[in-house]
Amino acid sequence: MINDTRLAEEFVAHGRVDDCPVIDTHAHFGPYQAIYFPRWRPERVLDTMDRCNVRWLIMSAHAALVDTARGNREVAEIVAAHPDRIRGYWVINPNYPERLQRELDEFDAHAQTPGQASSPPAFVGFKFHPNQHGVPLNDERYHPALEYADARGLPILSHTWAGRGMSSHAEVREVAERFPNVRLLMGHAGYGDWEESAKVARDHEHVYLELTAAYSVRGALEIMVEHAGSEKILFGTDHPWFDPHYGIGCILSAYMTDEDRRNILHRNAERLFGLPLD
Amino acid sequence: MELFDCNCWYGVPKTPPLAPAETVDDLLGELGRAGIGRALVRNAAIWEESPEVGNALTTADCARDERLEAAWGILPPHTGELGDVHEFLDAMRAAGVRALWAYPAKHRYLLNATAMGGMLEEMQDRGIPLFLHRREMPGAQETYAVAEQVLADFPRLHLVIVAHGSWGEDRLFRPMMARYPSFAVGTSRYELDGGIEDLCRTLGPERLLFGTNFPETPMGGPILTLLHAAISDEERELIAGGNLRRILEEVRL
Repeated sequence: MINDTRLAEEFVAHGRVDDCPVIDTHAHFGPYQAIYFPRWRPERVLDTMDRCNVRWLIMSAHAALVDTARGNREVAEIVAAHPDRIRGYWVINPNYPERLQRELDEFDAHAQTPGQASSPPAFVGFKFHPNQHGVPLNDERYHPALEYADARGLPILSHTWAGRGMSSHAEVREVAERFPNVRLLMGHAGYGDWEESAKVARDHEHVYLELTAAYSVRGALEIMVEHAGSEKILFGTDHPWFDPHYGIGCILSAYMTDEDRRNILHRNAERLFGLPLD
Repeated sequence: MELFDCNCWYGVPKTPPLAPAETVDDLLGELGRAGIGRALVRNAAIWEESPEVGNALTTADCARDERLEAAWGILPPHTGELGDVHEFLDAMRAAGVRALWAYPAKHRYLLNATAMGGMLEEMQDRGIPLFLHRREMPGAQETYAVAEQVLADFPRLHLVIVAHGSWGEDRLFRPMMARYPSFAVGTSRYELDGGIEDLCRTLGPERLLFGTNFPETPMGGPILTLLHAAISDEERELIAGGNLRRILEEVRL
């Protein structure tokens, strides 16, 4: 069912595959303005992760899209409670430049899991949302955060979407060329401009395509694999927006090999974030 | 458990999806690959051209394979394009058609009692389901407002909204499900984590209909989501196909 490969057979039969863990590189925490979530509380998040064998989930707080200080603090607390399953993105809101420098300073203080100095950082990088904050990705108001990340080689997950002037492949290409040490994750894979977005990932070693919502457009995944390669694609779900089974099922439907699927579901993120899968 | 897809199509629309399914053979190939046993099907010509054309194409193509059941489009009876209400029902009976779709935005009519009252009254009395695609009208608020008015006037009509968007619409459709016992939604874009489980717990499983939204959406997403939703096997069976089979079996033409 879905296709005739072993991964499909196992996911259909069990909902999870023990030797194919999943790393969800695009998740959120907390309620949000326009949608009802049955499964945003931590115990429900962990239950979903177990049902799908999501080994790691990297989240930012919905609250941080509104009030970065409060929301980033929320995620720090969740990571502290679940350091073996969850990591965070530190949300940047460029509309508050007077707060930005202070928050970049705070990022360092939060970059170690509280009480576990030897563990990996609680926050793996930054989260940008140009569309929600109304600031184009290539706007200079993002530069302090981009310069900070560039100096440290940090990952940044940015919402990206078709339509010039905000977060499209064109803005990503400009930022990628100006900040070559930032590992730039194109959230939603530049939704809509599939081929052009894939070519940005192809042309820049440090640019990746993240699949949230993009997987539900039939044919988009095949374009990404053709133009960027499965080694440049990361799995994500916007959890608690979307059931990981929905995204996994879409990937199983796409015309690609199980090796491509394993690259997407965990190998690339394991390598990018250095998160252990044992 | 047999999956019965309430929402898939094929054909040649003016603006094709990224991965089209131009022929019924394309659709059949994907149904076979995905393991979907039955499908309620429509040709894109129904909404892109006219039900006058698309209904006949759909019926002819579906006659080729027992997995397929044709669904037709409707128009206001007042212009006579599909005959009057009883002539249209006679045609449905002759063709074995048991489900209808409305495209009020593309076909430029008001889906209400004034334009469609005679048809909707017959559909309500005969148990014929009416499907609406959520993105056929410009916005969520408009779609649900139209549906709400139809149900207010025809509260026993089997009205089904499919392919609601990824910005979850539970706040829109759940109150209507609570008020109107025959109102149902499709699962093709019900991607919300825990959505199926939560809706079954609060409103029961009887008004969720499995669908894929193929060829716009991959079939695997809605399949894997339903297979592993935290619900009972009895609930899963109803959503997978039992609910749609029951609705269609109860149609009286």
